Amino acid sequence: MKGERLGEFEEFTLLAVRALGDDTYAVPIQQYVEKVTGRPISVGSIYAALGRLEEKGFVRSAMSEAVAQRGGKSKRLYTVTPSGLKTARELHRVRERIWNAIGEGARS
Amino acid sequence: MLRLTPLSRERRAEVHADVLELFAVRRRDRGALHAHWRLYHDVASLWSPGAPLVVMRDIGGDVRYAARLFARQPGIVLMTIAGLSLGLAIATAAFSIMNAAVLRGEGIVDSERAPAVLRTSGTMTSTVWRYEEFLHLREGATRMQAEAMIRDGASVRTAPDESETPSTAMAFVSGGFFAATGGRTIVGRAFEPGDEQYAGPPPVVLSFTFWVSRLNQDPSVVGRTIRIGRTDATVIGVAERRFAVPNSSMLWLPVTAYNAVYNSNPERIAPKMSVEVFGRLRPDAGLAEAEAQLSGVAAALPRTPGTNDAIQVRLDPGTGLGRVAASTMMSIAAFVVAIIGLVLVLACANVASVLVAAAIGREREMGVRAALGASRARIVRQLVTESVALGVVAAAVGLLGAYWAIPIVGTMIEAPAGIDLAPDLNVYLFLGIVTLLAGIGAGLAPAWHGRGVDLVSPLKGDGADTRRTTPRRLRSALVMTQAAVSVLLIVVAALFVRATYRVASLDVGFDPDGLYEVHIGASRDAFGAGDAGIAAQWTRIIAEVESVPGIASATLVEIPPFGGGMKRSSSGDGPNRQLTYFNRTRAEYFRMMGVRVVAGRIFTREEIAEKAPVALISETLARRYWPDRSPLGELLPANIPLPPLHPRPQIIGVVTDTITAQLHEPSRFAVYQPLDPASEIFGNLMIRTAPGAIGVVQQVAQRLRTIEPRANVRFTSVADGLRQEAGRPRMLATLSGVIGIIAIVLCVIGLYGLTASVIGQRTREMGVRLALGASRGDLLRLLMWQSLRPVVAGLGAGAGAALLAGRAVVATMFFGMSPQDPLALAGAIVVLLVAAMLAVVVPTRRAASVDAAAVLHRS
Repeated sequence: MKGERLGEFEEFTLLAVRALGDDTYAVPIQQYVEKVTGRPISVGSIYAALGRLEEKGFVRSAMSEAVAQRGGKSKRLYTVTPSGLKTARELHRVRERIWNAIGEGARS
Repeated sequence: MLRLTPLSRERRAEVHADVLELFAVRRRDRGALHAHWRLYHDVASLWSPGAPLVVMRDIGGDVRYAARLFARQPGIVLMTIAGLSLGLAIATAAFSIMNAAVLRGEGIVDSERAPAVLRTSGTMTSTVWRYEEFLHLREGATRMQAEAMIRDGASVRTAPDESETPSTAMAFVSGGFFAATGGRTIVGRAFEPGDEQYAGPPPVVLSFTFWVSRLNQDPSVVGRTIRIGRTDATVIGVAERRFAVPNSSMLWLPVTAYNAVYNSNPERIAPKMSVEVFGRLRPDAGLAEAEAQLSGVAAALPRTPGTNDAIQVRLDPGTGLGRVAASTMMSIAAFVVAIIGLVLVLACANVASVLVAAAIGREREMGVRAALGASRARIVRQLVTESVALGVVAAAVGLLGAYWAIPIVGTMIEAPAGIDLAPDLNVYLFLGIVTLLAGIGAGLAPAWHGRGVDLVSPLKGDGADTRRTTPRRLRSALVMTQAAVSVLLIVVAALFVRATYRVASLDVGFDPDGLYEVHIGASRDAFGAGDAGIAAQWTRIIAEVESVPGIASATLVEIPPFGGGMKRSSSGDGPNRQLTYFNRTRAEYFRMMGVRVVAGRIFTREEIAEKAPVALISETLARRYWPDRSPLGELLPANIPLPPLHPRPQIIGVVTDTITAQLHEPSRFAVYQPLDPASEIFGNLMIRTAPGAIGVVQQVAQRLRTIEPRANVRFTSVADGLRQEAGRPRMLATLSGVIGIIAIVLCVIGLYGLTASVIGQRTREMGVRLALGASRGDLLRLLMWQSLRPVVAGLGAGAGAALLAGRAVVATMFFGMSPQDPLALAGAIVVLLVAAMLAVVVPTRRAASVDAAAVLHRS
């Protein structure tokens, strides 16, 4: 267990959910992550990451109404929780600080 | 596939939708191939997210390595591929046929809910109804949809200039047939209820096989006219490939077109015509409920004349629509599966032993890999990759072999003409799975062989003698398995060879040359009204036929010899089973067949006319029941079962033996009864031509047409029927003989490779033994015995298995041969032992002729 922290892949997934404007589902998430990372991503790993994120309380999911184009099947919609957003921001801030340090080191 | 994934039911639906959506997106963006590849990948990823990609990456390296290795050892590789592809080809061919015959079925959708409607009345159960009865049933059925079907055959011409072809199997069906069976069309449309009232030429639906083989897959086939029997018919559709109900039917016509095809009769179908009835249960109806409802409808039907029992309905989901009885299917399937299994075990054992042999020489390589940090799992994976790679190549070769073998095997087992034997998805799946299993199994063998071995000591130079005992056990087991399986296969082949000779020398008791069964090819309804009309018509026909010069005689018989039909009863079980053949004949039948009267007399004209309870019996039957006295005047013994309601006949004569059906289970017990005028509707015309007469058959056809212009006359030669029946064991002998020879070849290849590499390892030991004073003869004896010991053990096991299998296997398959035939068994063992000795002697001699000084000097 990584506890309350985010792994790299989980971070991508979380941000993808956010970037897609919340209330999104596995298919666009997979497409997005694949496009951004530029490497083939299996849908199984997306499910796994979403599952872990949900366990940690970083995303929330709810079933949608049945959708006609999907043969009457409903889809699971994901939304980033405030705690998820906070953790991702925190991570980003840490990274930024380090990069800044590197940047300063490089200048001197 | 998704059903197997580790997901909860609710999640599965969701994942299913997701995966399909992704598939659609990818197909749009990157094409179908990419989408498929990623689809498999996604499904796999549900088990272990992310992992498959990593495995794939590494496998690329493994495969490259394997390819380099194969290039260095072409001999071993070729041997393995040859062995495995032979095995896979046989297994695939056998599976294709089983697939076509058993697994694929004929395309009835949800066949459990499409039962046959059987007609029961008193103790009699029948599969046929009269057409008028069917109409009544269809009208009254509320819990199921009732449909009718007549199976028949007629010659079909697709172009006016095409020559007459043999009869094509077809079914005359009621309008809801396709709806009830679930048959769909790929071109045009299927029948609808309204098609029974067609106008103009009758509509016809073609089978996929017919469309491909006779019409060259004509894309604009709908609307085309073909000639069926005596009528033109308009094509309205082509059924999809997997649909061939019933019995590989080639064409479907409306049931109302029956008379048009055979008689060009204005009346569309006679109300007394016999039809088979089946049904499709309504979605909410149960079998018992539908049965009760339909029985209520049937109770209102007029009773069978002469009985007082009301007609009732029994629904049987296991029969009708050309379904083979489950037990027959199971025994075919079991037999084929047994053969497939044996051949595959053999091929795998063979590949495994070749790979083990190769692995012995690769100990050093494995040592190096281990020393460089490869984990044991990694090394095992390398070995498995190698053998799977071999398997894939072998599968490709095997598939080509199977394509070539399937039609041959199909002919051998007398597959019906309409059956589509070409491999389908099932077959490819089977081949894929088997290849994977065989590859993994064969690859694990050397890994198992190498388990517990110190991988480091081989590195310490080739002086170190690593002696172990466990691996030898595996090698022995492999050799043993191969020997045992080979013996089993060869015993079967030998049995069929002997059966061939036995059948060829069987005396059928009559001269089949010049005997023909004449199919008038006109509906019996055209004969005129009632029994008298039929009798008059037959009298005219026989008089006309007998007046043809070159015709020795013509007569009526219920069951012509070797015409495919039979009526028999059996008493007793197992080896005491006794079959008695029944037939009804006219008095002239015996003279025509050349059957002599040994005692008593044949039927008189009065006896035939009155349907007197009299019978003639065969000599053997007479001897069996009355060994020391005359059976004349006695009643037929009570332990020979008769059809119900028949009085036990009095024996008035004894005639010489004949065998008229089923050469593989020949029985000389025969009972002949008179074919009375009321039964002449069941009569078949037989003629014997005088020796040397030419063109008689055509003249007979011509004469018959003068009587009945609408007749579609055909002839079946009794001699041909007999030849076909006698040819069956020869076919089976060839088939199992080829498999047996392949088995021996595989066994010898494996044994040679294994012996060569094992003995190669022991060169040093041989040198020491020589130096210590052993003679070359001693060495040869020692090595030969050690190499042959597992073979001998395997032969013993195989012989035991053959004896055991003999008890289990249906005895009828062996044409009266005991599977425990000592000669076949001994022959098989000798053949295999000689082959094994040849395989062992070459490497052994090489090892024994080693130069002791040179070997010892080297170390």
